[in-house]
Amino acid sequence: MAADLVLDTAIRDWVLIPLSVVMVLIGVLRYFVSKLMRSNQVPDAKIVKEGQLIIRARNLRAAANFIPPKSFRARRLYYNNEENGLLIVPKGQAQNPQAQMYSDPNMAMDMMKKNLSMIIPQTLTFAWVNFFFSGFVAAKIPFPLTQRFRSMLQNGIDLSTVDVSYVSSRSWYFLNLFGLRGLFSLILGEENAMDDTQKMMQMSGFGFDPSKSLGAEKDSLDIVQHDWALPKFEHRAEAVLRKLAR
Amino acid sequence: MGVSEKKSSEAAFDVPTLNAENLQSNMKVIYYSRTFMSIIGGVIAGILGFTGLTGFIFYFLIMTVTSVGLIAKTGFTVYSYFDSWSQIILDGFLGGLLSFVLFWTFAYDLVHIF
Repeated sequence: MAADLVLDTAIRDWVLIPLSVVMVLIGVLRYFVSKLMRSNQVPDAKIVKEGQLIIRARNLRAAANFIPPKSFRARRLYYNNEENGLLIVPKGQAQNPQAQMYSDPNMAMDMMKKNLSMIIPQTLTFAWVNFFFSGFVAAKIPFPLTQRFRSMLQNGIDLSTVDVSYVSSRSWYFLNLFGLRGLFSLILGEENAMDDTQKMMQMSGFGFDPSKSLGAEKDSLDIVQHDWALPKFEHRAEAVLRKLAR
Repeated sequence: MGVSEKKSSEAAFDVPTLNAENLQSNMKVIYYSRTFMSIIGGVIAGILGFTGLTGFIFYFLIMTVTSVGLIAKTGFTVYSYFDSWSQIILDGFLGGLLSFVLFWTFAYDLVHIF
């Protein structure tokens, strides 16, 4: 092991602490800015209707065993029959999501805003760190690591003799970037900005096709094995009562 | 004997009786407390000056304490809140590790390095 480095206390006061505090504050700022920029568009009635329909069908599927077989079959028919079931989408009427996205510029705009609110602060902070703090050894990780981590932890220092557990300021920035997510979820509530953007990416932009999800819901409703639970619950109640009476 | 009997009856009447939304909210509580505990544990580990393996053992200990606390909070009837035991013991275990390491390093550096 290499000899211990002696770090100036000024580095702690002027690099390590400010860098961490700034990272936290920028995270909070980004959260509120993205909250401000979020345009609340009026949802399309048809899409809302389809979403609610899927939820209803899913509820039926989840609670299928709590109703008698006859009722279940009646309800399934209501959703699934080939002529006018609710989950059947007439052919040719299905909307192309790509076309829908182009026809509604608000959607693309929203996504772009979200992405920008992520990227701009990160680039700015990175530039700031690079400009002021490049080349510092700012911290030391309290556990030993192998040489492979050198490029990750000592980004910006080109010395091969320094022990790997010393962290350069630029790498400390990256550690903060990833490690503070937990703190943000504590102080900003569960749906903090980062998770939000990820969820939005999955949901809105890329291929949310209502007719397809209706079809999928129909298929899974078709294959439900119905098994009424009430008779079994009588046995269960009997067992519980017997145990109590004993 | 009572426990085994309960287990067998659970298997026999295998009907999910948990509300999905409530289950999700319970999971959220687990993640929240795990993150909280990992951050606090990281600061404590850093101030006490743990290095190397000791710190990770400390993390493991913290997570065990959290699990026991959560189980005690359910009144030792895990099945009325969660699907299985593994959910209450394992979920959020790795997610907290990064926060733990960050705050461990931070507190350790502030107190011991300079």
